[in-house]
Amino acid sequence: MAKKMILVDGSKCTGCKACSAACKEWNDLPTEKTSLVKSYQSMAGFTPNTYTYVTFEEKYENNNMHWLMRKAQCFHCEDPSCLKACSSSAISKTDSGFVVIDQDKCIGCGYCAQYCPFHVPKVDESTKKANKCTGCVARVENNLSPSCVAICQPGALSYGDYDAMMATAQARLAEVKKKFPNANLYGQNGQAGTTYRYILLDAPAAYGLPENPSTDLSLYLWKDIIRPIGKIVMGGAAAAVVAGVVINAVKGNYQKEPFEDHHQMKKEEKM
Amino acid sequence: MAVQKPNSPRVPGKILRFTKGERLSHWVHVVSFFVLLLTGWGILSEFFRPTLMIFGGVDVSRILHRVFAVIFVVVIVAMFFVKDPKYHWEWLRSAFRFTKADIQHIMAFPKEFFGGHANYPAQGKFSGGEKINSLITILGSAFIILSGFIMWFPQVFPDQLVRIAYPVHDLAMFMMVTALMGHLYLALLHPVSRVALEGMVKGYVPEKFAQAHHAAWYEEVKEQEK
Repeated sequence: MAKKMILVDGSKCTGCKACSAACKEWNDLPTEKTSLVKSYQSMAGFTPNTYTYVTFEEKYENNNMHWLMRKAQCFHCEDPSCLKACSSSAISKTDSGFVVIDQDKCIGCGYCAQYCPFHVPKVDESTKKANKCTGCVARVENNLSPSCVAICQPGALSYGDYDAMMATAQARLAEVKKKFPNANLYGQNGQAGTTYRYILLDAPAAYGLPENPSTDLSLYLWKDIIRPIGKIVMGGAAAAVVAGVVINAVKGNYQKEPFEDHHQMKKEEKM
Repeated sequence: MAVQKPNSPRVPGKILRFTKGERLSHWVHVVSFFVLLLTGWGILSEFFRPTLMIFGGVDVSRILHRVFAVIFVVVIVAMFFVKDPKYHWEWLRSAFRFTKADIQHIMAFPKEFFGGHANYPAQGKFSGGEKINSLITILGSAFIILSGFIMWFPQVFPDQLVRIAYPVHDLAMFMMVTALMGHLYLALLHPVSRVALEGMVKGYVPEKFAQAHHAAWYEEVKEQEK
Protein backbone atom coordinates (compact mmCIF):
# COMPACT_ATOMS: atom_id res chain seq x y z
CA MET A 1 0.00 0.00 0.00
CA ALA A 2 1.29 3.41 -0.93
CA LYS A 3 2.44 5.83 1.71
CA LYS A 4 -0.45 7.73 3.24
CA MET A 5 -0.74 11.06 4.98
CA ILE A 6 -3.27 12.69 7.25
CA LEU A 7 -3.44 16.44 7.28
CA VAL A 8 -4.70 18.10 10.43
CA ASP A 9 -5.67 21.61 9.41
CA GLY A 10 -5.64 23.74 12.53
CA SER A 11 -7.40 26.57 10.77
CA LYS A 12 -10.49 24.44 10.26
CA CYS A 13 -10.67 22.68 13.61
CA THR A 14 -13.62 23.78 15.75
CA GLY A 15 -12.63 21.78 18.81
CA CYS A 16 -15.78 19.62 18.71
CA LYS A 17 -13.89 16.52 19.89
CA ALA A 18 -15.88 14.22 17.60
CA CYS A 19 -12.53 12.71 16.51
CA SER A 20 -11.91 11.67 20.10
CA ALA A 21 -15.35 10.09 20.41
CA ALA A 22 -15.07 8.32 17.05
CA CYS A 23 -11.70 6.91 18.11
CA LYS A 24 -13.22 5.47 21.28
CA GLU A 25 -16.09 4.05 19.24
CA TRP A 26 -13.99 2.35 16.57
CA ASN A 27 -11.30 1.06 18.92
CA ASP A 28 -13.80 -0.10 21.54
CA LEU A 29 -12.23 2.02 24.26
CA PRO A 30 -14.04 2.72 27.51
CA THR A 31 -14.87 6.32 28.30
CA GLU A 32 -13.00 8.03 31.11
CA LYS A 33 -13.92 10.69 33.58
CA THR A 34 -12.94 14.02 32.10
CA SER A 35 -12.53 17.49 33.56
CA LEU A 36 -11.76 20.88 32.16
CA VAL A 37 -7.99 20.81 32.43
CA LYS A 38 -7.67 24.24 30.86
CA SER A 39 -9.90 26.21 28.58
CA TYR A 40 -12.07 23.61 26.83
CA GLN A 41 -9.44 20.89 27.02
CA SER A 42 -10.90 17.87 28.75
CA MET A 43 -7.91 15.49 28.87
CA ALA A 44 -4.51 16.34 30.36
CA GLY A 45 -2.76 13.75 28.21
CA PHE A 46 -2.92 10.35 26.60
CA THR A 47 -4.04 7.38 28.66
CA PRO A 48 -4.08 3.68 27.82
CA ASN A 49 -7.72 4.21 26.82
CA THR A 50 -7.52 7.61 25.18
CA TYR A 51 -5.59 7.64 21.94
CA THR A 52 -6.62 11.07 20.79
CA TYR A 53 -7.83 14.28 22.39
CA VAL A 54 -7.88 17.98 21.55
CA THR A 55 -5.55 20.49 23.16
CA PHE A 56 -6.71 24.08 23.63
CA GLU A 57 -4.38 27.03 23.99
CA GLU A 58 -5.97 30.43 24.37
CA LYS A 59 -4.05 33.12 22.56
CA TYR A 60 -4.74 36.80 23.14
CA GLU A 61 -3.87 39.38 20.53
CA ASN A 62 -5.15 42.97 20.30
CA ASN A 63 -7.83 42.28 22.88
CA ASN A 64 -8.98 39.33 20.83
CA MET A 65 -8.77 35.72 21.85
CA HIS A 66 -8.42 32.86 19.48
CA TRP A 67 -7.82 29.23 20.17
CA LEU A 68 -4.87 27.22 19.09
CA MET A 69 -6.52 23.82 18.91
CA ARG A 70 -4.76 20.63 18.06
CA LYS A 71 -6.01 17.10 17.74
CA ALA A 72 -3.27 15.10 19.47
CA GLN A 73 -2.51 11.47 18.68
CA CYS A 74 0.47 9.33 17.64
CA PHE A 75 2.31 11.06 14.82
CA HIS A 76 3.16 7.74 13.14
CA CYS A 77 6.78 8.66 12.49
CA GLU A 78 8.69 7.54 9.44
CA ASP A 79 11.62 6.72 11.75
CA PRO A 80 9.94 5.95 15.08
CA SER A 81 11.93 6.09 18.33
CA CYS A 82 9.44 3.68 19.92
CA LEU A 83 10.16 1.04 17.30
CA LYS A 84 13.89 1.25 17.95
CA ALA A 85 13.38 1.18 21.73
CA CYS A 86 10.98 -1.77 21.78
CA SER A 87 12.46 -4.79 23.57
CA SER A 88 10.04 -7.26 22.04
CA SER A 89 9.73 -6.48 18.31
CA ALA A 90 6.14 -5.63 19.16
CA ILE A 91 6.24 -2.36 17.23
CA SER A 92 6.28 -2.27 13.46
CA LYS A 93 5.53 0.12 10.64
CA THR A 94 3.12 -0.57 7.82
CA ASP A 95 3.91 0.32 4.20
CA SER A 96 1.22 2.95 4.45
CA GLY A 97 3.27 4.64 7.19
CA PHE A 98 1.38 3.69 10.33
CA VAL A 99 3.20 2.55 13.46
CA VAL A 100 1.42 -0.31 15.20
CA ILE A 101 1.92 -2.21 18.45
CA ASP A 102 1.34 -5.96 18.40
CA GLN A 103 -0.48 -6.47 21.69
CA ASP A 104 0.43 -10.17 21.80
CA LYS A 105 4.15 -9.41 21.69
CA CYS A 106 4.12 -6.36 23.96
CA ILE A 107 5.29 -7.02 27.53
CA GLY A 108 4.74 -3.49 28.79
CA CYS A 109 8.39 -2.65 29.45
CA GLY A 110 7.60 0.98 28.71
CA TYR A 111 10.76 1.79 26.75
CA CYS A 112 8.62 3.04 23.83
CA ALA A 113 6.81 5.44 26.14
CA GLN A 114 10.08 6.70 27.57
CA TYR A 115 11.73 7.40 24.23
CA CYS A 116 8.79 8.84 22.25
CA PRO A 117 9.65 12.52 21.72
CA PHE A 118 5.90 13.26 21.87
CA HIS A 119 5.16 11.08 24.92
CA VAL A 120 2.44 9.22 23.11
CA PRO A 121 2.43 5.53 24.13
CA LYS A 122 1.04 4.78 27.57
CA VAL A 123 1.49 1.50 29.41
CA ASP A 124 -1.65 0.02 30.91
CA GLU A 125 -0.45 -1.03 34.35
CA SER A 126 -3.12 -3.71 34.75
CA THR A 127 -2.67 -5.45 31.39
CA LYS A 128 1.04 -4.56 31.04
CA LYS A 129 0.56 -3.50 27.44
CA ALA A 130 1.54 -0.27 25.72
CA ASN A 131 -1.31 1.50 23.98
CA LYS A 132 -1.52 4.29 21.46
CA CYS A 133 -3.30 5.40 18.30
CA THR A 134 -3.46 2.46 15.91
CA GLY A 135 -3.96 4.65 12.84
CA CYS A 136 -7.09 2.54 12.39
CA VAL A 137 -4.96 0.23 10.25
CA ALA A 138 -7.81 -2.25 9.97
CA ARG A 139 -9.84 0.47 8.23
CA VAL A 140 -6.90 1.84 6.26
CA GLU A 141 -5.97 -1.58 4.90
CA ASN A 142 -9.56 -1.87 3.68
CA ASN A 143 -9.48 1.44 1.86
CA LEU A 144 -11.34 3.39 4.48
CA SER A 145 -10.03 6.49 6.19
CA PRO A 146 -9.15 6.41 9.91
CA SER A 147 -12.29 6.88 11.98
CA CYS A 148 -11.24 10.31 13.28
CA VAL A 149 -10.87 11.51 9.69
CA ALA A 150 -14.18 9.96 8.67
CA ILE A 151 -16.13 11.79 11.35
CA CYS A 152 -14.51 15.24 11.14
CA GLN A 153 -17.33 17.66 10.17
CA PRO A 154 -15.45 20.93 9.59
CA GLY A 155 -13.00 19.12 7.30
CA ALA A 156 -10.00 19.74 9.53
CA LEU A 157 -8.86 16.18 8.94
CA SER A 158 -8.16 14.79 5.51
CA TYR A 159 -6.53 11.59 4.43
CA GLY A 160 -5.01 10.28 1.22
CA ASP A 161 -1.88 9.32 -0.68
CA TYR A 162 1.22 11.11 0.55
CA ASP A 163 2.09 13.09 -2.59
CA ALA A 164 -1.44 14.32 -3.20
CA MET A 165 -1.85 15.26 0.46
CA MET A 166 1.43 17.17 0.47
CA ALA A 167 0.24 19.25 -2.47
CA THR A 168 -3.02 19.96 -0.62
CA ALA A 169 -1.08 20.84 2.53
CA GLN A 170 1.19 23.31 0.73
CA ALA A 171 -1.71 25.02 -1.01
CA ARG A 172 -3.65 25.20 2.23
CA LEU A 173 -0.64 26.54 4.14
CA ALA A 174 -0.20 29.38 1.63
CA GLU A 175 -3.85 30.26 2.15
CA VAL A 176 -3.71 30.11 5.95
CA LYS A 177 -0.53 32.19 6.10
CA LYS A 178 -2.43 35.19 4.83
CA LYS A 179 -4.32 35.30 8.10
CA PHE A 180 -1.75 33.62 10.36
CA PRO A 181 1.76 34.70 9.29
CA ASN A 182 3.37 32.26 11.76
CA ALA A 183 1.51 29.30 10.31
CA ASN A 184 3.68 26.31 9.46
CA LEU A 185 3.48 22.73 8.34
CA TYR A 186 4.51 20.58 11.28
CA GLY A 187 5.83 17.03 10.98
CA GLN A 188 8.34 17.75 8.24
CA ASN A 189 11.41 17.84 10.46
CA GLY A 190 12.57 15.12 12.77
CA GLN A 191 11.74 11.42 12.86
CA ALA A 192 12.19 11.51 9.06
CA GLY A 193 8.73 13.04 8.73
CA THR A 194 5.43 11.95 10.20
CA THR A 195 2.24 10.48 8.76
CA TYR A 196 0.07 12.92 10.68
CA ARG A 197 1.05 16.45 9.60
CA TYR A 198 -0.33 19.66 10.93
CA ILE A 199 -1.04 23.09 9.72
CA LEU A 200 -0.25 24.93 12.93
CA LEU A 201 -1.39 28.53 13.24
CA ASP A 202 1.60 29.45 15.37
CA ALA A 203 5.09 28.19 16.21
CA PRO A 204 5.19 24.58 17.51
CA ALA A 205 6.25 25.86 20.93
CA ALA A 206 2.93 27.71 21.24
CA TYR A 207 1.26 24.31 21.07
CA GLY A 208 3.77 22.72 23.46
CA LEU A 209 5.33 20.72 20.65
CA PRO A 210 9.08 20.18 20.24
CA GLU A 211 10.54 22.33 17.46
CA ASN A 212 12.79 19.53 16.27
CA PRO A 213 11.59 16.20 17.61
CA SER A 214 14.36 13.66 17.59
CA THR A 215 15.32 10.25 18.86
CA ASP A 216 17.32 10.63 22.05
CA LEU A 217 21.06 10.08 21.60
CA SER A 218 21.08 7.59 24.48
CA LEU A 219 18.92 5.23 22.41
CA TYR A 220 21.58 5.08 19.68
CA LEU A 221 24.25 4.73 22.34
CA TRP A 222 22.32 1.83 23.82
CA LYS A 223 21.18 -0.08 20.75
CA ASP A 224 23.93 0.71 18.25
CA ILE A 225 27.05 0.91 20.42
CA ILE A 226 26.74 -0.64 23.90
CA ARG A 227 24.59 -3.60 22.84
CA PRO A 228 26.72 -4.86 19.94
CA ILE A 229 30.05 -4.14 21.65
CA GLY A 230 28.81 -5.76 24.86
CA LYS A 231 27.91 -8.90 22.94
CA ILE A 232 31.34 -9.02 21.29
CA VAL A 233 33.16 -8.56 24.62
CA MET A 234 31.01 -11.22 26.29
CA GLY A 235 31.58 -13.57 23.37
CA GLY A 236 35.31 -12.88 23.57
CA ALA A 237 35.36 -13.74 27.27
CA ALA A 238 33.48 -16.97 26.60
CA ALA A 239 35.94 -17.86 23.83
CA ALA A 240 38.88 -17.12 26.15
CA VAL A 241 37.43 -19.46 28.77
CA VAL A 242 36.96 -22.26 26.26
CA ALA A 243 40.52 -21.73 25.00
CA GLY A 244 41.81 -21.80 28.59
CA VAL A 245 40.07 -25.09 29.36
CA VAL A 246 41.26 -26.70 26.12
CA ILE A 247 44.90 -25.58 26.52
CA ASN A 248 45.00 -26.72 30.14
CA ALA A 249 43.53 -30.08 29.17
CA VAL A 250 45.96 -30.55 26.29
CA LYS A 251 48.92 -29.64 28.50
CA GLY A 252 47.74 -32.15 31.08
CA ASN A 253 47.54 -29.44 33.76
CA TYR A 254 44.48 -31.12 35.23
CA GLN A 255 46.59 -34.10 36.34
CA LYS A 256 49.19 -32.03 38.15
CA GLU A 257 49.22 -31.34 41.88
CA PRO A 258 47.98 -27.74 41.98
CA PHE A 259 50.31 -26.52 44.73
CA GLU A 260 53.51 -27.50 43.01
CA ASP A 261 53.38 -24.24 41.20
CA HIS A 262 55.18 -21.72 43.33
CA HIS A 263 54.59 -18.36 41.83
CA GLN A 264 56.81 -16.04 43.78
CA MET A 265 59.63 -14.45 41.91
CA LYS A 266 63.01 -15.19 43.38
CA LYS A 267 64.19 -12.54 45.81
CA GLU A 268 66.56 -10.96 43.32
CA GLU A 269 63.82 -10.80 40.69
CA LYS A 270 61.66 -8.73 43.01
CA MET A 271 61.73 -5.05 42.57
CA MET B 1 45.11 -6.26 55.92
CA ALA B 2 42.75 -9.04 56.87
CA VAL B 3 44.07 -11.39 59.45
CA GLN B 4 42.98 -14.63 61.00
CA LYS B 5 40.06 -14.13 63.30
CA PRO B 6 41.49 -14.83 66.74
CA ASN B 7 38.60 -17.03 67.87
CA SER B 8 38.15 -19.08 64.70
CA PRO B 9 39.08 -22.72 65.07
CA ARG B 10 42.44 -23.83 63.70
CA VAL B 11 42.37 -26.54 61.08
CA PRO B 12 45.64 -28.38 60.56
CA GLY B 13 47.20 -27.72 57.18
CA LYS B 14 44.51 -25.15 56.42
CA ILE B 15 44.15 -21.44 56.84
CA LEU B 16 40.98 -19.37 57.24
CA ARG B 17 40.49 -17.32 54.11
CA PHE B 18 36.92 -16.07 54.34
CA THR B 19 34.82 -15.57 57.45
CA LYS B 20 31.14 -16.51 57.63
CA GLY B 21 30.11 -12.93 56.88
CA GLU B 22 32.30 -12.72 53.80
CA ARG B 23 30.98 -16.02 52.52
CA LEU B 24 27.38 -15.06 53.15
CA SER B 25 27.80 -11.80 51.20
CA HIS B 26 29.40 -13.66 48.35
CA TRP B 27 26.71 -16.32 48.05
CA VAL B 28 23.80 -13.95 48.47
CA HIS B 29 25.39 -11.89 45.72
CA VAL B 30 25.77 -15.00 43.54
CA VAL B 31 22.19 -16.22 43.92
CA SER B 32 20.58 -12.81 43.51
CA PHE B 33 22.87 -11.96 40.59
CA PHE B 34 21.83 -15.08 38.68
CA VAL B 35 18.13 -14.54 39.34
CA LEU B 36 18.49 -10.88 38.31
CA LEU B 37 20.46 -11.81 35.21
CA LEU B 38 18.04 -14.46 33.99
CA THR B 39 14.89 -12.47 34.73
CA GLY B 40 16.47 -9.32 33.29
CA TRP B 41 17.80 -10.88 30.11
CA GLY B 42 14.37 -12.25 29.30
CA ILE B 43 12.89 -8.75 29.44
CA LEU B 44 15.73 -7.09 27.57
CA SER B 45 16.21 -9.56 24.77
CA GLU B 46 13.84 -11.76 22.87
CA PHE B 47 16.50 -14.42 22.51
CA PHE B 48 16.29 -15.06 26.24
CA ARG B 49 12.51 -14.63 26.44
CA PRO B 50 11.96 -18.42 26.87
CA THR B 51 14.25 -18.27 29.94
CA LEU B 52 11.48 -16.44 31.76
CA MET B 53 9.42 -19.62 31.66
CA ILE B 54 11.71 -21.07 34.35
CA PHE B 55 10.41 -18.40 36.68
CA GLY B 56 6.80 -18.66 35.58
CA GLY B 57 6.55 -16.10 32.81
CA VAL B 58 7.10 -12.41 32.22
CA ASP B 59 4.87 -11.16 35.01
CA VAL B 60 6.42 -13.32 37.72
CA SER B 61 9.89 -12.42 36.44
CA ARG B 62 9.06 -8.75 36.62
CA ILE B 63 8.28 -9.15 40.34
CA LEU B 64 11.21 -11.48 41.03
CA HIS B 65 13.60 -9.04 39.39
CA ARG B 66 12.52 -6.36 41.85
CA VAL B 67 12.46 -8.67 44.88
CA PHE B 68 15.97 -9.91 44.21
CA ALA B 69 17.15 -6.40 43.41
CA VAL B 70 16.18 -5.45 46.93
CA ILE B 71 17.90 -8.54 48.36
CA PHE B 72 20.97 -7.79 46.24
CA VAL B 73 21.23 -4.30 47.68
CA VAL B 74 19.99 -4.68 51.23
CA VAL B 75 21.77 -7.87 52.29
CA ILE B 76 25.14 -6.89 50.90
CA VAL B 77 25.04 -3.35 52.22
CA ALA B 78 23.95 -4.75 55.59
CA MET B 79 26.99 -7.04 55.64
CA PHE B 80 29.20 -3.98 55.77
CA PHE B 81 27.65 -3.23 59.14
CA VAL B 82 26.42 -6.48 60.63
CA LYS B 83 28.52 -9.58 60.10
CA ASP B 84 32.32 -9.22 60.22
CA PRO B 85 32.09 -5.69 58.84
CA LYS B 86 35.86 -5.23 59.21
CA TYR B 87 36.57 -7.76 56.48
CA HIS B 88 34.09 -6.16 54.10
CA TRP B 89 35.61 -2.73 54.52
CA GLU B 90 39.08 -4.16 54.06
CA TRP B 91 38.04 -5.83 50.84
CA LEU B 92 36.47 -2.60 49.59
CA ARG B 93 39.56 -0.59 50.47
CA SER B 94 42.00 -3.08 48.96
CA ALA B 95 40.07 -3.18 45.66
CA PHE B 96 40.95 0.46 45.09
CA ARG B 97 44.56 0.13 46.16
CA PHE B 98 46.82 -1.35 43.51
CA THR B 99 50.42 -2.03 44.49
CA LYS B 100 53.38 -2.75 42.26
CA ALA B 101 52.97 -6.44 43.10
CA ASP B 102 49.35 -6.29 41.93
CA ILE B 103 50.35 -4.76 38.61
CA GLN B 104 52.98 -7.42 38.11
CA HIS B 105 50.40 -10.09 38.86
CA ILE B 106 48.04 -8.63 36.28
CA MET B 107 50.82 -8.50 33.66
CA ALA B 108 51.72 -12.12 34.26
CA PHE B 109 48.14 -13.29 34.60
CA PRO B 110 47.12 -13.92 30.96
CA LYS B 111 49.83 -16.54 30.70
CA GLU B 112 48.42 -18.40 33.68
CA PHE B 113 44.86 -17.98 32.42
CA PHE B 114 45.77 -19.91 29.29
CA GLY B 115 47.54 -22.72 31.10
CA GLY B 116 51.07 -21.34 31.33
CA HIS B 117 53.24 -20.83 34.37
CA ALA B 118 53.40 -17.24 35.53
CA ASN B 119 55.88 -15.57 37.83
CA TYR B 120 54.84 -12.70 40.01
CA PRO B 121 55.74 -11.31 43.39
CA ALA B 122 54.05 -12.35 46.64
CA GLN B 123 50.39 -11.29 46.70
CA GLY B 124 48.26 -9.97 49.53
CA LYS B 125 44.87 -11.37 50.55
CA PHE B 126 43.55 -10.30 47.17
CA SER B 127 45.81 -10.65 44.16
CA GLY B 128 45.95 -8.04 41.41
CA GLY B 129 43.57 -10.14 39.30
CA GLU B 130 41.13 -10.55 42.14
CA LYS B 131 41.20 -6.82 42.74
CA ILE B 132 40.17 -6.23 39.14
CA ASN B 133 37.30 -8.67 39.54
CA SER B 134 36.34 -6.90 42.77
CA LEU B 135 36.51 -3.49 41.11
CA ILE B 136 34.24 -4.58 38.25
CA THR B 137 31.83 -6.05 40.80
CA ILE B 138 31.83 -2.92 42.95
CA LEU B 139 31.54 -0.39 40.12
CA GLY B 140 29.18 -2.61 38.11
CA SER B 141 26.93 -3.01 41.16
CA ALA B 142 26.95 0.71 41.86
CA PHE B 143 25.95 1.57 38.29
CA ILE B 144 23.39 -1.21 37.95
CA ILE B 145 21.76 -0.37 41.31
CA LEU B 146 21.55 3.36 40.57
CA SER B 147 20.23 2.93 37.04
CA GLY B 148 17.88 0.16 38.16
CA PHE B 149 16.41 2.38 40.84
CA ILE B 150 15.73 5.08 38.25
CA MET B 151 14.17 2.53 35.88
CA TRP B 152 11.93 1.23 38.65
CA PHE B 153 10.41 4.66 39.27
CA PRO B 154 10.49 6.38 35.86
CA GLN B 155 7.67 8.73 36.76
CA VAL B 156 9.60 10.44 39.54
CA PHE B 157 12.78 11.07 37.54
CA PRO B 158 13.29 13.40 34.57
CA ASP B 159 12.78 11.66 31.20
CA GLN B 160 16.34 12.36 30.17
CA LEU B 161 17.72 10.61 33.25
CA VAL B 162 15.54 7.53 32.69
CA ARG B 163 16.63 7.41 29.05
CA ILE B 164 20.28 7.35 30.13
CA ALA B 165 19.60 4.74 32.82
CA TYR B 166 18.70 2.07 30.22
CA PRO B 167 22.07 1.95 28.44
CA VAL B 168 23.90 2.31 31.77
CA HIS B 169 22.01 -0.69 33.15
CA ASP B 170 22.90 -2.68 30.04
CA LEU B 171 26.54 -1.62 30.09
CA ALA B 172 26.94 -2.56 33.76
CA MET B 173 25.36 -5.95 32.99
CA PHE B 174 27.81 -6.62 30.14
CA MET B 175 30.76 -5.64 32.35
CA MET B 176 29.64 -7.88 35.19
CA VAL B 177 28.81 -10.86 33.00
CA THR B 178 32.18 -10.63 31.27
CA ALA B 179 33.93 -10.61 34.64
CA LEU B 180 31.67 -13.42 35.84
CA MET B 181 32.75 -15.68 32.99
CA GLY B 182 36.40 -15.27 33.87
CA HIS B 183 35.56 -15.64 37.56
CA LEU B 184 33.61 -18.89 37.02
CA TYR B 185 36.38 -20.33 34.89
CA LEU B 186 39.05 -19.56 37.48
CA ALA B 187 36.92 -20.80 40.35
CA LEU B 188 35.56 -23.96 38.81
CA LEU B 189 37.65 -25.00 35.84
CA HIS B 190 41.14 -23.58 36.10
CA PRO B 191 43.45 -26.40 37.30
CA VAL B 192 45.56 -24.20 39.57
CA SER B 193 43.21 -21.55 40.93
CA ARG B 194 40.07 -23.63 41.40
CA VAL B 195 41.39 -24.78 44.79
CA ALA B 196 40.37 -21.31 46.00
CA LEU B 197 36.70 -22.31 45.77
CA GLU B 198 37.12 -24.25 49.03
CA GLY B 199 37.81 -20.96 50.76
CA MET B 200 34.52 -19.54 49.57
CA VAL B 201 32.57 -22.69 50.46
CA LYS B 202 34.08 -23.80 53.76
CA GLY B 203 36.15 -20.77 54.66
CA TYR B 204 39.48 -22.59 54.72
CA VAL B 205 42.09 -23.12 52.01
CA PRO B 206 45.13 -25.41 52.12
CA GLU B 207 48.17 -23.61 53.52
CA LYS B 208 50.17 -24.67 50.51
CA PHE B 209 47.69 -22.92 48.23
CA ALA B 210 47.85 -19.77 50.36
CA GLN B 211 51.64 -19.83 50.20
CA ALA B 212 51.66 -20.28 46.45
CA HIS B 213 49.03 -17.65 45.61
CA HIS B 214 48.90 -15.18 48.47
CA ALA B 215 52.32 -15.40 50.09
CA ALA B 216 52.29 -11.88 51.54
CA TRP B 217 48.92 -12.47 53.16
CA TYR B 218 49.98 -15.92 54.37
CA GLU B 219 53.05 -14.48 56.07
CA GLU B 220 50.93 -11.84 57.72
CA VAL B 221 48.45 -14.35 59.11
CA LYS B 222 51.29 -16.54 60.40
CA GLU B 223 52.85 -13.49 62.03
CA GLN B 224 49.57 -12.69 63.79
CA GLU B 225 49.24 -16.22 65.08
CA LYS B 226 52.54 -16.08 66.92
